[in-house]
Amino acid sequence: MAQSVLQVNHLNKVYGKRKETQYHALKNISFAMKQGEFVGIMGASGAGKTTLLNVISTLDQASSGSVKIAGTDITNMKQNQLADFRSQQLGFIFQDFNLLENLTVYENIALPLSLQGVAVKNIKPSVLKVAKNLGIEEILPKYPVTISGGQKQRVAAARALVHEPALILADEPTGALDSKNAKSLMETFVHMNENLGTSIMLVTHDPLSASYCQRILFIQDGQLYKEIHRTHKRNEFHQAILDVLSEINKPNEW
Amino acid sequence: MLVKLSLSSMRKMFKDYLVLLFGLTISIAIFYMFQTLAQNEAFVEANKMISATMFVFHVGTFILGFITIFYIFYATSFIQTLRQKEMAMYLTLGAKKSKITQLMFMETLFIGIVSLVIGIIIGMGLTAVIADVLMDMLDFSAEATGFKAIYTSSIITTVIFYIILFLLTSIVNAWQIGKKKVLDLLQANKQEDVIKTSGLKTFFGVLVSIILMVIGYYTMIHIAKFQHFGVILATITIVPGTYFIFISFLPYFVKKLKQNRMLNETGINSFTLGQLRFRMLNLTKVLGTVAMLIALGLGAMTAGLSFYHNIELQASSFQANDAAIYEPTKEDIDTIEAMDVSEKNTYEYKLTNDGVFFLKDSLLEKPPLVPHFDRSMEAISDIQIKRVEEKLPASLYTMDGTEGEELPDKWLNAISLELNASYTMFGERTVYVVDQSHYENVDAKEKQVIVTKTDDFSKHVSSFKQLEERQQEVAESYVGKPVDNVGGKYNNYVSLKSFSSGTVFMGIFLGIAFLMMMASVLMFKLLSSAGADIERYHMLRKIGVRQSLLQRSIYRELFLLFLFPAIIGLVHVLIGMQMFSFILVEPYTKVWLPISIFLVIYGLYYVITVQLYKRIVLPKHH
Repeated sequence: MAQSVLQVNHLNKVYGKRKETQYHALKNISFAMKQGEFVGIMGASGAGKTTLLNVISTLDQASSGSVKIAGTDITNMKQNQLADFRSQQLGFIFQDFNLLENLTVYENIALPLSLQGVAVKNIKPSVLKVAKNLGIEEILPKYPVTISGGQKQRVAAARALVHEPALILADEPTGALDSKNAKSLMETFVHMNENLGTSIMLVTHDPLSASYCQRILFIQDGQLYKEIHRTHKRNEFHQAILDVLSEINKPNEW
Repeated sequence: MLVKLSLSSMRKMFKDYLVLLFGLTISIAIFYMFQTLAQNEAFVEANKMISATMFVFHVGTFILGFITIFYIFYATSFIQTLRQKEMAMYLTLGAKKSKITQLMFMETLFIGIVSLVIGIIIGMGLTAVIADVLMDMLDFSAEATGFKAIYTSSIITTVIFYIILFLLTSIVNAWQIGKKKVLDLLQANKQEDVIKTSGLKTFFGVLVSIILMVIGYYTMIHIAKFQHFGVILATITIVPGTYFIFISFLPYFVKKLKQNRMLNETGINSFTLGQLRFRMLNLTKVLGTVAMLIALGLGAMTAGLSFYHNIELQASSFQANDAAIYEPTKEDIDTIEAMDVSEKNTYEYKLTNDGVFFLKDSLLEKPPLVPHFDRSMEAISDIQIKRVEEKLPASLYTMDGTEGEELPDKWLNAISLELNASYTMFGERTVYVVDQSHYENVDAKEKQVIVTKTDDFSKHVSSFKQLEERQQEVAESYVGKPVDNVGGKYNNYVSLKSFSSGTVFMGIFLGIAFLMMMASVLMFKLLSSAGADIERYHMLRKIGVRQSLLQRSIYRELFLLFLFPAIIGLVHVLIGMQMFSFILVEPYTKVWLPISIFLVIYGLYYVITVQLYKRIVLPKHH
């Protein structure tokens, strides 16, 4: 059995101080992700997806419980340790790309390596390799302003991938893309996952994007609601996802 | 309701408004400071060493006013970018545009009036402190010159000028918000910088900037050759040259830096340099202006101080020795001995009712030092100090040759200047240089005069003052009536000093005002573009850049932005001082002093800018 890349145990996140009105964003969430898995997290707005992602990505701290990434417990790390951990073990892809407009595509992709102090002579081969893998070699010398949304998201994926992190966290990566670019990006993710063995955690509310995952965790009101695995074709999985979503949104529960 | 909302959001953004308030206050304080001098005509008139002083002030007011207008626009646009989203939200919620425009107008005006009150108060304080320190340094009293830190007409001018300016900017700001679409306002921060570079254009820009600077510097160094034409030529080459450097040469330079992969791909450098490159393209005009202002302000200060230090050098160019002391008392001798004396000669003379008789032999035994002038000399510093070499073969000499022989030139200098045997000292008496036999025939008591020179005149000014007071008594006893100036080096020094210290004071005062102003322009422009950087720093934090590294990047980026105009301004000043080499003996004496004042002011601004910038862009910890 493959090693687990992410282990979340009894995770709680409470906003608001004691004695004040408290809000439980996450309630006792536990799950694990194996190395090389492609997992989707779904849920309605306000279900706790973003909070979960922020805690896993070390940007926010858990109230209780633990998060282990690649065997390291991140719940009690200091700010600087967390920053270093993020730069080494995690790769981020955001809805609004978050590329630095004042750097070329090449420089954007190279930045995580430079930050880790990788020897300059080793940077170029790594960047070229990942750019080739994602089909963006042509646009390397350009500035982000001059490329399309789909290309920007590939650049963001390349930047997330270049330092070979243990886990890639994608937060609504298709949110700002049209359906054609969204499809192409999801195919890229599958390619990364299948051929490069990258572990990916995808947070989305788009069932079509989610249907590219191998497994999906549904969150509702801060709790794990259901987990489904992809066994058959993508079309069927898509249908299964839609079924769960309609179950969650059943009007009689209101 | 909207007013209430606006007040509460202003309270929320208090820190940002504090930045604006700070900037406006500085601008107002400096404007006021300048006005206290410019408006005080009595002061300017009393101290105009050069006839162009009033003209300089008018030009100065114009430049300062011009900069201030820019400054206010930067400052208010800074706050506008902060408020845009909120305004847009009110609009989407159905507030009327006219109401929003009104609100924006009132806000700008409100901030303006608050800063006006604080600014003028600070301006008075600053003026008083700086004036006090400078006047003390220059031995020059405020009462005598009519200089006042609190000057009604300056207050009125400042208030009127700024009220008009605030009204104008409030209108422009309100109008700008008014004409924008709601969508544009909502997406205010999404604008992206576009970089435009054309290889050929850059190349020509670089070439032009270098050619212009070389021509300008060459004319300034050889100003003696070009005279008035040189000043004009230097101005029309250096001003555009400076702008060209910032428009083409520096972006080119940063681009080259970025192309060095070893440098660019290490740590956070690629981000720092990327920021720098984009920032520089947006800031070319500001950086160019700042460099020119540094040059002007620092130039005024350096020239002022250099004038001051030159007083001594100029005073000493007429006389090789520091003093001639007739009939030295015990006290005088003690005073002389307490100093580091490099030359001390005693000569004998006799005094009658209508003549002064110097003993030739005693003069020849150790001839006095005199300055040697030469036609070919270009600067006062070329003057050589040598002993008089001519022999005096005749038995009797007078200054004009009415009796006996006429004194040779060098000896004439020695007697009249070094020995100070002048009308003020001896009145109507004829001055003779006579041999031993003539001397013995003069029926008077033999007296002595000491001619002395110290290692450094300016170090012993107070001692010379004492000696000179005694000489005044001697002169009065010789002439038989009150004498107000016995002449001699000390008196030359004092009159030159009082003549120029007003001008020096104005130079330094204006220099400081200018430097404070320009550094705050740069600070504001940088802070006004900080809003766009917030997201970049948040992103960097997300991908795992340590806070300390982000801080270092900010320090470095801003350091370089402050550094470039400083270097160029400094070089301008250092080379520009050559222009004064024909008025000033040593234009570079103590040049470190104005430069240090500049570095302190500039350094302070740098630190403040970094702190404020950090507060705006750096992500806060949860």
